[in-house]
Amino acid sequence: MGVNHRIEVRGAGKSFGSLQVFRDLNLDVGEREVLAVIGPSGCGKTTLLRCMNGLVPLSEGEILVEGARMTAPREGVAMVFQHFGLFPWKTVQQNVAYGLKLAGAAASEIGEKVPYFINLVGLTGFEGYYPYQVSGGMQQRCGLARALAVGPRVMLMDEPFGAVDAQTREILQFELLRIWEARPTTMVFVTHAIDEAVLMGDRVLVLKGRPAVVHEIVTVDLPRPRSRATLSDPRFAELREHVWGTLMADARRAEFEITR
Amino acid sequence: MTAVGTALAAGQPAAGNGTRPWYAAPLALQLAAGVVLLGAWEIGVRMLAPAYVARPSRVVVVFLRVLSDAQFLAAAAATLRAVLEGLLLSIMLGTVIGLAMGRVVAVERGLRYYVNSLFATPMVAILPLMSLWFGYDGDARLATVVFAALFSVVVNTCDGARAVPNDYLEVAHSFRARGWRTLLDVVLPASLPYLLAGVRLAAGRALVAAVVAEFFVSIPGLGYYILFNSRTFKHSEAFVAVIVLVAVGVGFDALINWITRRYLPWARRGG
Repeated sequence: MGVNHRIEVRGAGKSFGSLQVFRDLNLDVGEREVLAVIGPSGCGKTTLLRCMNGLVPLSEGEILVEGARMTAPREGVAMVFQHFGLFPWKTVQQNVAYGLKLAGAAASEIGEKVPYFINLVGLTGFEGYYPYQVSGGMQQRCGLARALAVGPRVMLMDEPFGAVDAQTREILQFELLRIWEARPTTMVFVTHAIDEAVLMGDRVLVLKGRPAVVHEIVTVDLPRPRSRATLSDPRFAELREHVWGTLMADARRAEFEITR
Repeated sequence: MTAVGTALAAGQPAAGNGTRPWYAAPLALQLAAGVVLLGAWEIGVRMLAPAYVARPSRVVVVFLRVLSDAQFLAAAAATLRAVLEGLLLSIMLGTVIGLAMGRVVAVERGLRYYVNSLFATPMVAILPLMSLWFGYDGDARLATVVFAALFSVVVNTCDGARAVPNDYLEVAHSFRARGWRTLLDVVLPASLPYLLAGVRLAAGRALVAAVVAEFFVSIPGLGYYILFNSRTFKHSEAFVAVIVLVAVGVGFDALINWITRRYLPWARRGG
């Protein structure tokens, strides 16, 4: 068990009934590492993330976070959801405070942290708005603040920018990079966008097949801090092409397969 | 109503976009329809019916006198109190039963057919039994109100609790909320729009139940007031009680609408 590995995945497999989603996954994620996970749709990226959070049990193997087996959600791990997962009856402020309240934080702590994280994600002035009153991008900023507020050491990002438009996605990517640089944590970033995987990740885990297995783990040797300039780095283009090549051979086959 | 207004406005040549002649305004049409209906009633009664039959002009004359009559006020208070008490009981009990049915499969399976059958039972049909079980007094009325109101709250809350999107429950789980916290923090607020729809339905049924119980069991209240005055040829007085009942029904509906707009602004957006 490596000292610097915050997440360890050992022989992990997951089946729903007779459908095997992934099998025999082995990987580690370091303390200040961003692991991007990419693969054709339906390959079990999100399921893997949910297993890492302890929301659903594995069928085989184990996932350790900070050395402890994940059988249920635990302190120190926070998830950002693809469809934001904000409670519509709570305002931005109340949504951000949700995790802290559940963790039993004192009112003074909530009063201090909530405005801080609302400001960090750029939502100051929108505290009293309900989710339906703000844009998708702002809703995900809120979801991000809610996750950050509990002080997680592991962030699980489930296609966090998959449900927002292209421009907003770009803005949010660089916002997230900025926030991460200021406070680097372990992050697992599930996406189906190749650019995003290469931009975000220190490594890109490419899954393939049904059941999915590790196809390749691509090391992204782009310097940090990353920014818009990273996109015009020739190395970025190379890595993107490499991941594209790895992915597409499998993606075409997957597209023509009958989905569950 | 809007369709009529639009049709009338469209019939006006070159009235300009969005400008309607004064007589096509909704309020003007509503008032005009009211005047025509009341006028027809007044003339009809004057021409065809004996003098004691209620007509608008007589109702207006007795209106304030009835409203300040101690006996009438006592009757109104008794009925409204029974309705409110019954509704409150139904909301509390119905929310608990509905949430349990909505979230616990065993409870839902056990109670489903009984609740659906009782929801469909005509309240009037069991009224004679209510008076046998609860006596010929206010208890029978309260029981009837609860019987009429409870199951629409249960059925709606159950639907609401079952319709809670899985996403919300997963978020709660991810943030390590369990059991009761999730029920109070997620399931209950997510079910509130359904619950309020149930209360709205229940309120109408409760009002009917209280009045019918008073008719049948002769308990002092607005229903009995109507019955008594109708039988003693004081139709106009009886009509004042009817107007008060209508006002209460409409008022409660407006109150629920206001609560929904004010405290559940998100609910109108479909989550």
